[in-house]
Amino acid sequence: MKVKIKQWNGVASWLWVANDENCGICRMSFNGCCPDCKVPGDDCPLVWGQCSHCFHMHCILKWLNSQQVQQQCPMCRQEWKFKE
Amino acid sequence: MEENVMEPDVSAAQQGSANAWETVTAALVSPGSSVSEESLTESLALLNRHGLSDFLGGWLLETLQMRLTVSVVPEFWSGLKQPENELEEKDRAWVLLTAFQTLLDRLGPFLDGLERLGAWQDKGFGGLCGSGAEGLHERAFTIIRALLLFSPPTVLQERVLEFYSRTFSVHMNQEGEAGEAEDGAEAGGCPGCGVPPQQCWCQEALEQLQELSHILSRLRLLEWVSSEAVTSILHKLIEQRMEQHCRGEYERSFLLDFQEWLELVLGWLSRVFTSETNGGCPVPVPSAASSSRAGQPASTILQQWRCHMHQFFCRIYVNMRIEELFSIIRDFPESKAAIEDLKFCLERTNQRQQLLTSLKSAFESRLLHPGVHTSDILTVYISAIKALRELDPSMVILQVACQPIRKYLRTREDTVRQIVAGLTGDAEGCSDLASELSRADPVTLEMQESDDEGSDPEEWTPDPTDAVTDKTGSKRRSSDIISLLVSIYGSKEIFIDEYRTVLADRLLHQLNYNTAREIRNVELLKLRFGESHMHYCEVMLKDMADSRRINSNIREEESRLGEEEQPPLSLSAMILSSEFWPQLKEEKLELPPLVCQAMEAYTHRYEKLKAMRTLSWKPHLGSVTLDVELEDRVLTNFTVSPIHAAIILHFQDKSSWTLEELSGKLGVPKETVHRKLALWQQQGVLREEAGGRYSVLETGSSRERLERSVMLIDSDEEGDSNTTTQSEQREEKLQLFWAYIQAMLTNLESMTLDRIHSMLRMFVATGPVVTEMDVNELEAFLQRKVREHQLMFSAGVYRLPKSN
Repeated sequence: MKVKIKQWNGVASWLWVANDENCGICRMSFNGCCPDCKVPGDDCPLVWGQCSHCFHMHCILKWLNSQQVQQQCPMCRQEWKFKE
Repeated sequence: MEENVMEPDVSAAQQGSANAWETVTAALVSPGSSVSEESLTESLALLNRHGLSDFLGGWLLETLQMRLTVSVVPEFWSGLKQPENELEEKDRAWVLLTAFQTLLDRLGPFLDGLERLGAWQDKGFGGLCGSGAEGLHERAFTIIRALLLFSPPTVLQERVLEFYSRTFSVHMNQEGEAGEAEDGAEAGGCPGCGVPPQQCWCQEALEQLQELSHILSRLRLLEWVSSEAVTSILHKLIEQRMEQHCRGEYERSFLLDFQEWLELVLGWLSRVFTSETNGGCPVPVPSAASSSRAGQPASTILQQWRCHMHQFFCRIYVNMRIEELFSIIRDFPESKAAIEDLKFCLERTNQRQQLLTSLKSAFESRLLHPGVHTSDILTVYISAIKALRELDPSMVILQVACQPIRKYLRTREDTVRQIVAGLTGDAEGCSDLASELSRADPVTLEMQESDDEGSDPEEWTPDPTDAVTDKTGSKRRSSDIISLLVSIYGSKEIFIDEYRTVLADRLLHQLNYNTAREIRNVELLKLRFGESHMHYCEVMLKDMADSRRINSNIREEESRLGEEEQPPLSLSAMILSSEFWPQLKEEKLELPPLVCQAMEAYTHRYEKLKAMRTLSWKPHLGSVTLDVELEDRVLTNFTVSPIHAAIILHFQDKSSWTLEELSGKLGVPKETVHRKLALWQQQGVLREEAGGRYSVLETGSSRERLERSVMLIDSDEEGDSNTTTQSEQREEKLQLFWAYIQAMLTNLESMTLDRIHSMLRMFVATGPVVTEMDVNELEAFLQRKVREHQLMFSAGVYRLPKSN
């Protein structure tokens, strides 16, 4: 007997490769989106800091904009720098 | 009399007055007597002088009464009864007429006497006996009625009824309503009088009718003798006609027909009641004020009868339609005419309450029992909404009568699913909802406050009295089918959730990423439920579009690879945003290495495409198209589920497996493997051998299913949902609350059910999962925890067990 697979339609769900489940700022799931967004994934990406903490991009930008003096990671208080 | 005239000497005055009395009374009761006008006038004057004329009226009435009791009344009744039963109908009519004719003849002198007395009184002779001439008339006729009809034997009513019925059918026949008289037509006789044509007495009957009416109206007995008969004839005929014409016939309006028919009937009534006008009857028409019934102008009587008949028609019609309302509702768009008729009649009769009670019990006995499919209940409910909003624009009937349906539907598990299926047009035979959804002017389910300004306060109408008093005013009483259905559960979240589940199933089952229809449905639902609620569904649809793009992207990349690097099988993926999809069933399945490699390769490419993202495969979901080549036959383009494919792939390596081996290899319980193997056995590819071994059938003996190239998944899986069911989800949700409940009880020691419920509602944030939580549901959950000894319940409060 020979079985020839012509087409395999699989189902998968995507997820962010992050060290945490939820965004430390909005507490929403990384795989969902930040409170201001409607659509997850490309439209509401994650960003990583050099301190290896990550957040929804929109969340961390909002946070950084609200910091007058120094831009720190809200988790570890180190200076926030985007990971390249 | 002679004697008195010859002896005029002693006490002449006394004698003279006695003479005068004789003269006058003789003149009163026997109009044919030869008393001359002069002597009469003289006698009257004499009596007047002695003040005796006052007694004339009394005497006349006395005499009348005596005569009636002694001879006239017995004669009348015996005349009527005399020929027992052997007479023909025609003869009976004649007897009836004769009896009345005799009556009139006997009473004639008195009537004339009354006339005379009245005339004298008008001229000034004779004192007024109390109430004057008219009063005297009244009293005389009252006496006649009283003595004659004091205890009438049934024979009179029978005869009158028979006679009137006959004249009625004669009349209707002549007016062109042939065929109505059923007895005549079938005997081949005259349709009017029911006898062979040569003996037809139609004309005669009508003449007799006229004569009878004439006599009766002279005796002022018309109303007394005929009303009952006429009423019963009319009622019987209306009912009969209604039964024949309208019962079970909902597609035609009968109001006009009946209006016309009633006009014909009125023609007959006018023959019965208005004979005095054309009969030239000498009975004076007294002033309306002094006579109550008998003397009213014919047109007034007819008017009364017309009202009466109309009223009666409405009531009968409403009665009948109320009985049939369930069927009318079931047939609705076709039975619109019946609904409109009913609406018209219902406004004229006070039968709303009856209608409500009857409809409610009809629903309960015919619809709301376990033998009826949920979709059928919904179909009837939808028709009821449509029909009853025609019937009662205030929606009160709809609201009240359908309460049992709504209550019942709440107890059916599949209600939501059926409604959602209807909305998306999946349900067969229930296209109403889908078309309702795509209606031009949808009613949003959001509370609309702006309505207050829109309506004119002058046009406000109060609710009918039978309206249910609740906080929602008449404005809130919606007639929109979808809002009504959705509100069965009191929350639209349940529906949206269910829709999401249905949508997920549909998307996962279809393979072509074609979402045009779903997009349309979601857009339509958005109009109803509002943007925010449909957001999750939109993301799901977007996932479809994204998946297609990613697939073609990866496909393109693969095609650039060299021959040897080509992936071993063509894999495409549906990539979901897990947070936005309903929870998918988690099932373990170890796929063959070949497939796993392909998936890994796909994941790899995906990671390249989307930085920092990866894929988590759901191995048991999806579908596989494959060809199976056996020694003597080939199954081509076979579409199966991944687990089927995995099984058959294993058989490619080794042609015989035991259930245990397969189960271990696939990581799936034996029972499941056994069930899935059935498909391949059905197809004649595999065969079960002794000792629980399965092996490949390379050479098919006669397999009749061979020619079938495409066979879908075996029956036990058909329609199997990939998403967890509603109840499973709720269970899980409550499980989520368990942590909260434990924490609360740790802090507060003991709490009542209501307290727990309200605390949960207060604190637990609302997520995409429905947070509408029923107290009962919570109670059931807590009770289960009590049974599992995780919770203690005593004296109405819950607490945690001490040991914890």
